[in-house]
Amino acid sequence: MNVKKYLSKATIHFLIIVYIVFLLFPLVWVVSSSLKSTPEIYSGSPTILPQQITFDHYISVIEGQQVFLTMWNSVIVGIVSTILVLLIAVPSAYAMVRYKSIINSGILGWILVSQIFPVILVMIPLYVLLRYMGLTDSLVGLTLIYVVWSLPFVLWMMHGYVKSIPIELEEAAVIDGANRAQVIFKVLMPLLLPAIGASALFAFISAWNEFFFAFVLMKSPALATLQVELARYTGMEGQARTGPLAAASVIATIPSIILFVFMRKWLTTGLVSGALKG
Amino acid sequence: MKRNLIILFFFVIVSVVIFLMTREEKEKKNLPLRFVSLAWQERSIATNLSIVKEWNDQHPDLQVEYIQGTWNSAHDYLITAFETGDVPDIFHYESSVIIDYAMRGYLTDLAPYITTEMKNDILDVAWATVTRPNGEVGGIPFLIESLVVLYNKSLFDEAGIVPPTIEKPWTWDDLRKAAITLTKDTDGNNVIDQYGAGIGLRNSANIIMNTSISFGGSFFRKEGDHFIVKVKDEEKKLLQTIVDMIYKDKSVSPASIGESGAGMIPGFFSGKYAMLVGIGSWGRQQLVENAPKDFKWGVMPPLKAKTQMYGVSTQTLSIPKKSKRTKEAMMYIDYMLSSTNTARLALDDWMIPSRKSCLEMPEFKDTIGSWDITCSAVNTLGVGSWLGAPGYVEWKSRVANPVLQELFAGRLTVDEAAKRIERESNIVLSRYKKRGEVW
Repeated sequence: MNVKKYLSKATIHFLIIVYIVFLLFPLVWVVSSSLKSTPEIYSGSPTILPQQITFDHYISVIEGQQVFLTMWNSVIVGIVSTILVLLIAVPSAYAMVRYKSIINSGILGWILVSQIFPVILVMIPLYVLLRYMGLTDSLVGLTLIYVVWSLPFVLWMMHGYVKSIPIELEEAAVIDGANRAQVIFKVLMPLLLPAIGASALFAFISAWNEFFFAFVLMKSPALATLQVELARYTGMEGQARTGPLAAASVIATIPSIILFVFMRKWLTTGLVSGALKG
Repeated sequence: MKRNLIILFFFVIVSVVIFLMTREEKEKKNLPLRFVSLAWQERSIATNLSIVKEWNDQHPDLQVEYIQGTWNSAHDYLITAFETGDVPDIFHYESSVIIDYAMRGYLTDLAPYITTEMKNDILDVAWATVTRPNGEVGGIPFLIESLVVLYNKSLFDEAGIVPPTIEKPWTWDDLRKAAITLTKDTDGNNVIDQYGAGIGLRNSANIIMNTSISFGGSFFRKEGDHFIVKVKDEEKKLLQTIVDMIYKDKSVSPASIGESGAGMIPGFFSGKYAMLVGIGSWGRQQLVENAPKDFKWGVMPPLKAKTQMYGVSTQTLSIPKKSKRTKEAMMYIDYMLSSTNTARLALDDWMIPSRKSCLEMPEFKDTIGSWDITCSAVNTLGVGSWLGAPGYVEWKSRVANPVLQELFAGRLTVDEAAKRIERESNIVLSRYKKRGEVW
């Protein structure tokens, strides 16, 4: 029995290790390529680790193009759009779940349908609208687009989470003398923290990775976002400046990693506090 | 109270919108000319920026703003710009796409703005890539893209093969023979580890179309006022030659099927392929900057089939019809594409300059970097009959590339591929015919 248990545990660990290697390999490859000299990248006999470490690509990225400025733009747009999305989505989802009305299912259906439209189809009317409002080539305009773009999905996510919380918890709090605000902020919010965390992560990553809107809407080089900047390392017929692209990509992943580490802690805290208070 | 709040809310919204709109109107008056460049190599970007800076220093009242575009998204970016009217004043692209834009009415006809000096100095074959039959010019061609064959000098010396010269070019049969000789199992494990040639066949329509001219083919034929696609014996001969080299001679690496020309370069450096066939002349830049120190290479003159004539495409600067400052934009183009600046751009992008005066410069006759042989190809460049065929860009990606991919992967015979290309091509082209777009 013990042997069987041991074997099963060992298999699980082995599979986890294989999975981790599978997930980490692209990252290791990018980091390794960013530290190789260009002739080594093109050597035709690739190695996982660089034979000779060089920081030339990092220096070229930092000196030559605006990687930090574009990263800053991405961070600003990502954070502001995430906050706005949550500010709209959380109360909307709560209202849709708790205040039944005949239009609720229609609204939910429409939200789902709105996800079907491809970007290129909505780009031109959206652009015309933003230009009319003077919001093309503006981080405000881009932020609004990201809010509109990720709101339906976040609303769907939050709708599901709010629905899964039993209304009896709120009723119990009301019986104990809590008012509506106390019900929402002291009972519901702790339970929703993991959902808010997951939704925030989704909204931020959607904005962080988005390329096409940023590329078309932002004309001024000073307003470009990180994804647009990274695309500029690629050229005709699938060519790329591999070394600088890898170095810029490594720099670009740092804020995402920091955010994930921060969010992971927050997610766990939210989960635990929700469980205790519920 | 509630009513007052609603009125206040709308008042704030309207004020913000009016403020934003008037701000835009004020700013428009002093906006610089917007130039979208697709330069992407480090040196080329530096040269573009430096030309813009020189212009801005000399023209304080007419500044140019450099906007870095990307090849992968340029089409979507430009179409959105054309449709919304928020266009750049000048943009960099390539002839095969801008002729499509010209037909759709997106571009300013530059013919009235071209100076005699520029008109006479740019090669006729380059002008032919951007000029419609009615004389309308969609862009100014400044760099010529041509296909070259690169070879590894050390492997040639080792095998005792004498490379061709401008005076004595190779035929495709010569190339096949050399490729067979150079294909080797160097370590005796019954696996070929040195192929005679590598050909980037992942998206091969470009190579096949441009090379088909030398076989006397063209795929596209004009029938009345519209185009049809026919795959005749000439085109089939080219396709069969490549298929035979992969499967019969086994002298072309099977890795070619899924790789781009650029993707074959590391294998070329490591001696896996003795020749790289049909790579753009820009590939030389990778060799100069990234090849191992002891790596010796050369460029072959165009291969001869029936002729040495190859299809050409050019990189261009155009002005959208919706740009409100055509004259100013053309002044900048004149400056940027002066003989001296065109030479700078060509040298840094490792492409052939379109100006005759540049080709006379010693830099373009240099044996270092094989500029002499590369530039000699201007005498054997021709314009494919597909130029101006409505739907050509879609045809390349939807029909030619996928069918050719299947052919070279061994899933179709040449005859089957020919039939599929004809059938599927004419479905695509008939859609464009219905729209009434005419070259």
